Amino acid sequence: MDLTQVIGRASGLAGGAGAALLQRLQHVRLPGAGQASATDDPERAARRWRAVTVLRDPADVDPAAGGLPAPLAALGDRIEVRVTPAPGDRGTELAARYRHTPGPDEIGDLRAALREAKALLEVGEVLRVDPQPHGRRAATPQGAALEGAAQAAPREGVL
Amino acid sequence: MRAVTWQGVNEVGVETVPDPTILNDRDVVLKVTRTTTCGSDLHLIGGYIPAMRTGDVIGHEFMGEVVEVGPGVRDRRVGDRVVVNSFIACGTCWYCRQELYSLCDNGNPNPGITEGLWGQSPGGCFGYSHAVGGFAGSHAEYVRVPYADVGTFVVPEEVSDDRALFASDAVSTGWMGADLAGTKPGDTVAVWGAGGVGQMAARAAMLLGAEQVVVIDRLPERLEQVRRHVGAEVVDYSTTDVMAELRERTGGRGPDVCIEAVGMEAHSTGVQGVYDQVKQQLRLQTDRPSAVREAIMACRKGGSVFVLGVFAGPVDKFPLGAAMNKGLTLRGAQVHGQRYTPRILEHMARGELTTEHLATHVMPLEDAARGYELFKSKEDGCVRAVFLP
Ligand SMILES: NC(=O)c1ccc[n+]([C@@H]2O[C@H](COP(=O)([O-])OP(=O)(O)OC[C@H]3O[C@@H](n4cnc5c(N)ncnc54)[C@H](O)[C@@H]3O)[C@@H](O)[C@H]2O)c1
Ligand SMILES: [Zn+2]
Ligand SMILES: [Zn+2]
Repeated sequence: MDLTQVIGRASGLAGGAGAALLQRLQHVRLPGAGQASATDDPERAARRWRAVTVLRDPADVDPAAGGLPAPLAALGDRIEVRVTPAPGDRGTELAARYRHTPGPDEIGDLRAALREAKALLEVGEVLRVDPQPHGRRAATPQGAALEGAAQAAPREGVL
Repeated sequence: MRAVTWQGVNEVGVETVPDPTILNDRDVVLKVTRTTTCGSDLHLIGGYIPAMRTGDVIGHEFMGEVVEVGPGVRDRRVGDRVVVNSFIACGTCWYCRQELYSLCDNGNPNPGITEGLWGQSPGGCFGYSHAVGGFAGSHAEYVRVPYADVGTFVVPEEVSDDRALFASDAVSTGWMGADLAGTKPGDTVAVWGAGGVGQMAARAAMLLGAEQVVVIDRLPERLEQVRRHVGAEVVDYSTTDVMAELRERTGGRGPDVCIEAVGMEAHSTGVQGVYDQVKQQLRLQTDRPSAVREAIMACRKGGSVFVLGVFAGPVDKFPLGAAMNKGLTLRGAQVHGQRYTPRILEHMARGELTTEHLATHVMPLEDAARGYELFKSKEDGCVRAVFLP
């Protein structure tokens, strides 16, 4: 299915809500192929470990040594964190999951926190994109849906 | 400042927009001195790349002068004359360390959009939709450049602006195709598409030692450029059977390396063309892959096919059986510009790589709408329109 069509449909269905649009997008299936977790039952999908691989030594990532990166620490003891060396000089696998069954917003928080933690460890800061120059935004439903999707994108995806 | 914005399908215009500012420590702000159209923009302007918002500043192939430097920038100074790569890469993640810069893990703040589409998210790009970061593009008086130490390159004095500009995207893309397809001395390389990217892929293949390089297109003025400025052979697919011609020119083997530099709006003749166009318009396939199909069929057994043209979604009638049974290596990528720009600038400084002829139309930024019209219709021999902000 074509993405513009998907966006058209999703924005119709979701009344223009960008986050809902992206969530739908993640469940678009190519014929014969699924997306990550597309066949998990929702409970199991929500409880999975979510992981990023960070190109740093395990010692630099280890919560016992330096404390958790701030974005993950902010989630407190609602999450458990696992740090393991990645194979083949790929650095360190940093994984986290909730101790309870989380809702979609909490999962979004965790995705964003993992991505920010990785950026802080690898780059030292989180790349920003706003505010930046743009021209007149037409007030269309697709435009609003896309704006919402872009804003929700750091918290969405298959992570 | 003035900037070129996307204002809807097939509509671009020039607007007054706010100036960019430093947002991250490793940013610089450039005063843009030259910025050019790329074939990728056509897919975007035509509405084939979703996730564009009206008002988005477009443009990703550019150079300029550094006017402001973030506190975390090590090697750039105000006043540096630099050319900038189109993809935004951190330089420190695993992908960057493998020199696969367009796959950078820390270049796209909106990974959720493409992860859903493709399973993983590639990096970010200037002026190329919110799917690849939503960064403001370069068709403007000023542009913010993140990770400036990694993505900007000081242009050697001997290289003019007119030449250096294309190291940004067209040359680095072409070079990547020739290199990652594994071009070796003695090879025959065929390139589909004689736009800026295809021409530079052909030139790179020659510099990498290919014995015979053949470029395929139908636009006579572009084929003439290939003959005159690149020094490669040409085939006009509108008057010649490409498969038969390539077989004949390669002793029946087929080219060792086939580089596709056409993309998702490939033109084709006859039934195949109508079939693809109709399916794309009905949204039954997102992309028209006729040049990729031909490259796979033409390639010698055990050869290598590299897809430089941009595609976004599933394609139809893909000759997977030919690829598998002929033992082909099939590869593609968005440009890993940072990997190739230093050596490209050296070749440019030595006069082995010239690009001035690509700039067929040079005009003020205010004329960008006309520039894109010419570039899209390929009228008046337009190969690249270059804007001077
Ligand atoms: N991989 C990357 O990072 C990257 C970077 C830049 C551009 N691109 C892509 O490369 C492609 C070419 O870019 P460009 O700037 O040279 O574009 P362009 O539009 O100037 O050139 C495309 C050429 O392809 C020719 N063509 C169309 N159908 C053909 C066919 N069936 N067989 C042979 N030739 C055919 C056209 O006549 C035209 O000359 C585009 O898809 C663009 O999006 C990719
Ligand atoms: Zn480009
Ligand atoms: Zn990186």
